[in-house]
Amino acid sequence: MAASLPRRIVKETQRLTQEPAPGITATPYEDNLRYFNVLISGPSESCYDGGQFKLELFLPADYPMAPPKVRFLTKIFHPNVDKLGRICLDILKDKWSPALQIRTVLLSIQALLSAPNPDDPLDNTVAELWKTDPDAAHAKATEWTRTYARAAA
Amino acid sequence: MGDNVVVPRNFRLLEELEKFEKGQGDMSVSAGLVDPEDIFLTNWNAAIMGTAGTPFEGRLYSLLIECGPRYPTVPPNVKFTTQINMSCVSSTGVVDMKKLCPGWKYSNDVEHVLNMLRTEMNKSENKRLRQPPEAATY
Repeated sequence: MAASLPRRIVKETQRLTQEPAPGITATPYEDNLRYFNVLISGPSESCYDGGQFKLELFLPADYPMAPPKVRFLTKIFHPNVDKLGRICLDILKDKWSPALQIRTVLLSIQALLSAPNPDDPLDNTVAELWKTDPDAAHAKATEWTRTYARAAA
Repeated sequence: MGDNVVVPRNFRLLEELEKFEKGQGDMSVSAGLVDPEDIFLTNWNAAIMGTAGTPFEGRLYSLLIECGPRYPTVPPNVKFTTQINMSCVSSTGVVDMKKLCPGWKYSNDVEHVLNMLRTEMNKSENKRLRQPPEAATY
């Protein structure tokens, strides 16, 4: 099966494992090379600092014409992530281009942790708090990071 | 593309959820998560309308569906919470999946299960059975 995996995916996987982006690991599952176990470290100086966030990523049949599917598995308090871990990010939807890669997607998600965008929310209650009481929102994001995203020892 | 693309369990269930959320056809079958924060999308509520022209017509049946960690390699566990009398359903409401969906395939989904139950209502062996009072639960 591995032999018939598109070269583009083989290439991307090699680069991801050989030269991982700082704070990001993506490892394909042995039984499905289009399905990746992803870990993103919370960026320093963000509410997610110190957290290890687990995500899953899947390259659908029409990748790279269609974007990868990706979502958080670790609970996170963020205006652009919903209760099922789905992510509101333009490049995962209408701004996707086949010139982008798994790496760019994961870097964008890491950047979204540094710069939440409550004006384009996926979770309205989270976004509301983010706008009306940013201090409370940041405190809650920090608390959730400590509770749910503590880096495994 | 020559490789055999297998959509992994969680993304498959997300697709199923999004399809149900959009609503489909005549809404004779519907389903959603019991807990909207269930990150592994395991436990579902479902409802089916009784098939027209059968003793089940006009009745709304509620079910609980459990998509375990090995779904959809293995079928989900399905249980009626509304009482029903059918040959593939036990006296406590548990659906015999081997009987309902023999030769389960990876491509089969929750919607398929619900549609198969509606097909089952059309079988003469089930049309003959006496039904419990409407809306009685287990």
